[in-house]
Amino acid sequence: MATAGDMTHTGSSTAIAGVKDFFNKNLVKILAFSLFLLLALFLLYPIVAVLLKSLKGPEGWTLKYYTVFFTKSYYFQSLYNTLILGLINTFICLVFGFCLAYMATRGPWWLRKPLKIVSLIPLVAPPYLFALSLIILFGRNGFCTKLFGMDWEIYGFDGVAISQCLAFIPLAFMMIENTLQSLNPNLEESAYDMGASEATIIRTITIPLLTPGLLKAALLIFVMTIAEFGNAAILGGRTPFLAPDTYTMITGESDFEMGSVLSVVLIAPCIIIFFIHNYLLEGKKFTTIGGKPVASEPRRITPAIMVPFTLVTLISCGAIALSFLVVLLASFVNILGVDNSLVLTNYFDFTTNYAIYNSIRVSFIAALIGAAIGVLLAYVIVRGNFFGRTFLEMVSLSGFALPGTVLGIGYLLAFSAPPLKLTGTLMILALNCVFRFIAVGVEAGISKLHQINIEIEEASADLGASFLTTFWRIVLPIMFPAFVAGFIYTFMTAIVSLSAVVFLVSPGFDLAAVKIFDAAVYGEIGIASAVTVKLVLIVMLCMATLHYITKKTQTGVAQKGVF
Amino acid sequence: MEKAQKPVMLVLKDIHKFYGENEVLKGVSLEIPKGQLVTFVGPSGCGKTTLLRIVGGFTDATTGDIILDGRRVNDLPPNMRDTRICFQNYALFPHMTVSDNIAYGLKIAKWNKERIRTRVDELLKLVELSGFGDRMIDRLSGGQQQRVALARALAIEPKVLLLDEPLSNLDANLRLTMREEIRKLQERLQLTTVFVTHDQFEAMAISDRLVVLKNGLIEQVGTPIEIYDRPANEFVAGFVGYVNFLKAKVENVDREKRTARMSTEIVCSLEINMAQDVQTGEEVLLVVRPESVNLSISGNGCRPNCCKGVLKSYMYAGSIAKCTVEIGDKKMIIDQYNPREAERFHPGAEVDVEIPRNVHILKR
Amino acid sequence: MKKMWLSVVVAVAFAAVVAGSALGEEINAYMGLSPENNKKVVDLVREKTGIQINQTFQSFGEIEAKVKSEAPNFNADMVTGCGSPLAFMAKKNGWTVPFVSAGWKGISDVYADPEGHWFNIANFSFVLVGNKDNLKKKGLKMPTSWKDLLDPKWKGDIVMPSPLSSGTANMMRFSFLALYGDTEGWKFLEALDKNIHHYTRSGNAPTDLVGRGEFTLGITSDENVKARIDKGYPLIWSIPKEGTGYDGTFAFILKGTKKLDTAKKVIFFLGSQEMSSLLSGIGYMTPRPAPNALYGKTTPKYIKIDLAKAAEDRPKNNDLWKSKFRTDFK
Repeated sequence: MATAGDMTHTGSSTAIAGVKDFFNKNLVKILAFSLFLLLALFLLYPIVAVLLKSLKGPEGWTLKYYTVFFTKSYYFQSLYNTLILGLINTFICLVFGFCLAYMATRGPWWLRKPLKIVSLIPLVAPPYLFALSLIILFGRNGFCTKLFGMDWEIYGFDGVAISQCLAFIPLAFMMIENTLQSLNPNLEESAYDMGASEATIIRTITIPLLTPGLLKAALLIFVMTIAEFGNAAILGGRTPFLAPDTYTMITGESDFEMGSVLSVVLIAPCIIIFFIHNYLLEGKKFTTIGGKPVASEPRRITPAIMVPFTLVTLISCGAIALSFLVVLLASFVNILGVDNSLVLTNYFDFTTNYAIYNSIRVSFIAALIGAAIGVLLAYVIVRGNFFGRTFLEMVSLSGFALPGTVLGIGYLLAFSAPPLKLTGTLMILALNCVFRFIAVGVEAGISKLHQINIEIEEASADLGASFLTTFWRIVLPIMFPAFVAGFIYTFMTAIVSLSAVVFLVSPGFDLAAVKIFDAAVYGEIGIASAVTVKLVLIVMLCMATLHYITKKTQTGVAQKGVF
Repeated sequence: MEKAQKPVMLVLKDIHKFYGENEVLKGVSLEIPKGQLVTFVGPSGCGKTTLLRIVGGFTDATTGDIILDGRRVNDLPPNMRDTRICFQNYALFPHMTVSDNIAYGLKIAKWNKERIRTRVDELLKLVELSGFGDRMIDRLSGGQQQRVALARALAIEPKVLLLDEPLSNLDANLRLTMREEIRKLQERLQLTTVFVTHDQFEAMAISDRLVVLKNGLIEQVGTPIEIYDRPANEFVAGFVGYVNFLKAKVENVDREKRTARMSTEIVCSLEINMAQDVQTGEEVLLVVRPESVNLSISGNGCRPNCCKGVLKSYMYAGSIAKCTVEIGDKKMIIDQYNPREAERFHPGAEVDVEIPRNVHILKR
Repeated sequence: MKKMWLSVVVAVAFAAVVAGSALGEEINAYMGLSPENNKKVVDLVREKTGIQINQTFQSFGEIEAKVKSEAPNFNADMVTGCGSPLAFMAKKNGWTVPFVSAGWKGISDVYADPEGHWFNIANFSFVLVGNKDNLKKKGLKMPTSWKDLLDPKWKGDIVMPSPLSSGTANMMRFSFLALYGDTEGWKFLEALDKNIHHYTRSGNAPTDLVGRGEFTLGITSDENVKARIDKGYPLIWSIPKEGTGYDGTFAFILKGTKKLDTAKKVIFFLGSQEMSSLLSGIGYMTPRPAPNALYGKTTPKYIKIDLAKAAEDRPKNNDLWKSKFRTDFK
């Protein structure tokens, strides 16, 4: 804005100042626009590509592939199984996850730490680890099968459901625990004080207040369950599920049109649930007056709650721990069930080491980019004031609702031809992980930003700092924890996830998760187990390092004393 | 002392509380008579909230007895105790309306609908929120939320009402109003109440008795007047208001007039009333409240107990002037209420400082 | 604050280091033998020619899907192991770089396309495997005819790969159809289906599953049966009296490669006696005769097969297969 004083300047310098001014004023909008372009290119475009492919035959637009899908009972059966599996899994994971989270936040101290450790390990292991351990224990020549003379068929719906539950209970636990922790313990104590029994408190206070968190966990678990095809492919037997069917359709029959149809069908329930979830959450964001944070003290939990909850906790933690133990043991066994001598040969299969190295590279790069974009997105969503802000928020959070398989196929379709040819590169794998998991970083960022008063930024701006300086000096340090959260989540999920990258690996660039999957479907349990163990150890090492760095830097940030 | 005659409602006997190795309560014993408002006050970390939570049943005492109305309640969980707590953050259920919040405990107690409605209306009227019953909690102001929390706690009249820093989330003006309202309500209902605060002025204004805590120990129990005028020790004296400590030595004692002459660190010797017995030669500490000192511009002639000093600063604020005076190398803070001739008080002026005879004496 | 930026710098530096990679004469190839056999071939090629083949194990089906989806901008320079459907399709669609390699001189048309579009480095077949321990426990004998597999006593105790995902299984299917004729062939497959526990994703999986005693019988690729027996699996294998089918393992150069010379060098070497010896040693039938690990000096009895017709019929047969075997659930 040219004031009277500016008029004395020469025309050109006013113009430059004007441009500079324009940039300064619209920086947030420019940033938002560029971020939107990125999302459109790497998140929306691949999905649209899948949709288009499913609607386009050699002769032009057609619905014939959909007609095929809905008229052939074998596809329909697949869809039915998938949805039932999704619902059962979501329900069990939520119930178990809630019990675990309740015990971890309200239960006795001695239970809390072991609970956390046991339940967090699976987050760094590939979900189909549980399929391996089920085969080892309950396969037709499995350890328990032989020992107890059991006649239990694990190849089928039951086996898949159990392994999926074990794989996703920890995720449910983690999410519910988070919301439980942020729940003001005084609320439950108040109800307790007014005479409510434990069960009444859970029914009338805890669960109603947890609804947003529970819904979110339900959405995420449902989507992950129906998209995760490792367990279904290894243990499914003759029971068809959509995700492995899609995979076979693309990689086995190389029928991209039908594969796209299956993808669209897979994505449809996810999108529907995403919208239901958003709708239900409208006006359910409870705010309470914050007081001094009070740690939730262990309560004398009544036996009516204590016994079933402890039972659930012990069963799930026991099963998870046992699965790991079994896989660990299996990695040292020569030929499982045949020659049970202990050997190290499975570990000396060095072809897999390069794949692990690749996995770390991809996940690291993905995590770095993902966390950065996530933080920026969160910033423009919360602080920005521009047309389409809600839309931007919805798109960036929609990653929660996108099955990995679909995004894998989408990337394959979208980026295999020039000028956007990315297939065969490290970047396609990294970018895929970035945009699949971006929602977490964005969300962490948003909630962090909601905690800080805009006054701090305004104060900084008031002191004459430019937008960039404010952002760099004030906003970034505050959002660093969100960056770290996004980084850690993306890193962990990217390194073990299979469903999308399996479509994108190329010669000379294999990933550990894919290697394990191949070894497992190939029947080489020993190798699969050994790679899993190596991967888990390396991921845990990475996490520990990261944790250490965060802790160090965290104190640095805290010392800045923003608050 | 007629209040102490009332029957005792709550007795705490030698309460100890450990968190691991850390002992946060180191043997607290206390009796609270029926109908009194007793305040736990002390700096943060003194154990006051822990003590309150122990009374409410949310935290277990490591050792010691909690006796409520003659019955040992150590092993009763909160939902079986006749105590009600209001948390600092009110802990109102955000997914319920005002009425539902208030009715929560009544529903648990299986009252019938009609009775619940009548009682809720009654309570809403009591806290002056009639007509607000259908509001959601987040549509209320802080003060209104505070009232709802009170109404909820009072729905079934408890034997003891526990208030955990109930006013700390309110702004200053509202805090004063709410403080009065709580006090009025408490007196009207003759409610035995334990009030926790870190704000000593609030504590003084609202309580029948104060319990001053520090590091898990009771420093003094007494009425506001006792605590302010006759603090048991330096900590209590300093905690309930600003104080100038004067080191003094008893020169001679006049048993008849019950006065003692003392030499002090501000050079001049003072004659002090003996509220308690002191011996000649004893070293003591005089508790001089800023507002008890008389300050005047040096004129001719000095009255008794008067020392000469130099005015270092003078902050005039209408009804009060805050002054710093240097006597020798001792700095004293003096509050002048209703200041007169303020123009004459300027830094550097020579002043007369008159220490009253009735200052409190602390043994050293 | 300083510490925070320091950590970011460290992170970026680490990312830069890990992003950089290898050196030397390299070539990218799609290769679908099996993870361990891929490695053996890659090692031999590197040892003898100094060329590093970058590959990732993928099944024939996966490779086919990849090549199809990428055409005509391939991510790899060549294919060094795929099934016949892709080889014939590639030739038809002009995705190959035809050339006559001196290394393949004197090799029959079964193994090398006269026009130089494709080179078949190894023929593989399928065999019947049984678990010795399970057979003994149940007092059963290895079947001697494929028809014996239809006996209800094997119900739920046989595994074979799925032709939807496995090239080997596709070979099994077209072999049985060739053996019995289309109508009778499908009847045979339907009757067999009653006894099949499930269809595995990979063509080799039945070997391991039967080897570990999960199932008693398996119809499986012959490629690593020998290796599993050597490793100690209690396996017994046979070719029933009707014989077995076969398919090739095809190599060709993908159009558009920037490393044509390197690719040609690889093709040249794939036709060598050393390569044939290696693959024979694993159990493949190879372009140049060599002692075969599985079959010794005998040649197994083969069913007569028209590979071109088999490739053409595949989509139709897949549909038929799905509608027949994917609707009932056990």
